[in-house]
Amino acid sequence: MQRQSLVEVRVLYFAKSRDLAGTAEEIIKVPDRVTSQLLLEIITDRHIELKTIQQNLILAVNQDYISEESGEIQLSTGDEIAVIPPLSGG
Amino acid sequence: MMESYISATDGDAKLQCELQEAKQVIKELKEKLNHYEQNENMQLCESTKEPENSSLLEVTQLTNRDIRRYSRQLILPEIGVRGQLALSNTSVLLVGAGGLGCPAAIYLAAAGIGHIGVVDFDHVELDNLHRQILHTEQRIGKSKSGSIATSIHNLNFSVKCQPYHLQLNKDNALPLIKQYDIILDCTDNVATRYLLNDACVLANKPLVSASALRFEGQLTVYNYDGGPCYRCLFPKPPPPETVTNCSDGGVLGVVPGIMGSLQALEAIKMAAGLTVSYAQKLLLFDALFGGFRSIKLRPKKKDCAVCGETPSVTKLIDYEEFCGAGPSDKCLSLHILPPEDRITVKELAKLLEETPLPILVDVRSPVEFEICHLENSINIPLAEIEKPDDTSFTEKVKQVSISRGLMDRDISVVVLCRRGNDSQKAIECLKTRMSSEIPVTLKDVIGGLSAWSLQVDPDFPQY
Ligand SMILES: [Zn+2]
Repeated sequence: MQRQSLVEVRVLYFAKSRDLAGTAEEIIKVPDRVTSQLLLEIITDRHIELKTIQQNLILAVNQDYISEESGEIQLSTGDEIAVIPPLSGG
Repeated sequence: MMESYISATDGDAKLQCELQEAKQVIKELKEKLNHYEQNENMQLCESTKEPENSSLLEVTQLTNRDIRRYSRQLILPEIGVRGQLALSNTSVLLVGAGGLGCPAAIYLAAAGIGHIGVVDFDHVELDNLHRQILHTEQRIGKSKSGSIATSIHNLNFSVKCQPYHLQLNKDNALPLIKQYDIILDCTDNVATRYLLNDACVLANKPLVSASALRFEGQLTVYNYDGGPCYRCLFPKPPPPETVTNCSDGGVLGVVPGIMGSLQALEAIKMAAGLTVSYAQKLLLFDALFGGFRSIKLRPKKKDCAVCGETPSVTKLIDYEEFCGAGPSDKCLSLHILPPEDRITVKELAKLLEETPLPILVDVRSPVEFEICHLENSINIPLAEIEKPDDTSFTEKVKQVSISRGLMDRDISVVVLCRRGNDSQKAIECLKTRMSSEIPVTLKDVIGGLSAWSLQVDPDFPQY
């Protein structure tokens, strides 16, 4: 197995995820190679409250949507991860 | 002081002014009549035409009045005569006549979109007016779709506007959507968002979708140019209890104002044949921190339940069942506690006349408590109570009971909130924690302060 190193990324929380995480953004350490599922696990393990909407979120890395179809993603220090649930009000 | 200012000359000037205004009204009415007569043949054709096809006669030429009216956008090379004619020959259906629908509708009408349909089942209420900017105090109680139609009519008489005072559902959605070229999702609830998405996929129509809550807005164009649909991004609806509506979460009026205006912009660009900016892109607007962020989205998902290669949703379904919540942004009534743990507002009113008084705990947020609260109630927000290591409730209750000399007896605590949901959650949370520490009886109030205002004290404000 290849050794993975950790990188520091900035996580931005939007809409409901901001309430549940209790913060609008934070810097966290994550492995430099992750799948979208692993990234979601890491984030929702930090904020257990997010588990309730875990299946209703989209994730973006540097403003690009990622999903399981994206496979393994290479992350670097300073990358920006957005956690986006849908808003439904109007 | 003020009265002495109204001299004979001022009265005269006032009359002159009124006369001028009346003349202006007559002039406008004459123009409208003229316009009516010109369009009479067209109107006749419309009423007999099949709704499946575009119900407007194609406009092939701009009148002098059109040229003058649209001159400032007509001279934009990106629009020009071709674009302006395209706008007059486009029909747009707005679903939702609220905070998003109002600004969207009025910009579409101003730009000269030929045919605008507006669907909404609600009536105008006072607490709509801070953000649903077309509705007026005079129209409180009137249908929202009719109110928007009136505003459109007053602004631009050449726009054909059709109000639909109905709840969009699985039976009426498709026939309605098929009559229009572009659909705008200006709704306020999850169930209608999925319904509208599926209907647009089935009818092959682009869906310009926006939403707003608090200080945040989202916008994207679904089902357009190989881009995703709502289900491609959000295959599963969120659990209903995690969805915050504007009534509970609040919303600053200008936020849906901006998002609705952007919807109009996207629809106008699409109608004029320009490249739309938010197909396969999601715009996130944060009005508090002042940022626009644009997320590049995925293309259509191959295994999407509705727009994928082998869809499982081939006709409209029961969206209330699918989402576990109805097609409105009104609040659900929770039933967490057994009836014996709950009292009505009438019973509370009686308790408040007895001695010793029960301890009244209001579990709303501090900002709501500041808006209004019952006399002698103490504020301990639900968010505090729900913290696992919270001691504020027991401490405050102890404090109050000592100061009122109640320590020796069984203390009666009545828990209150806005609608009788959070108060149940609070008691549920406190039940296990309290019993061992001090002898208390906890009751919650059915319907909360909202019911108090309706049934006990009409002078107590509602928000
Ligand atoms: Zn799809």
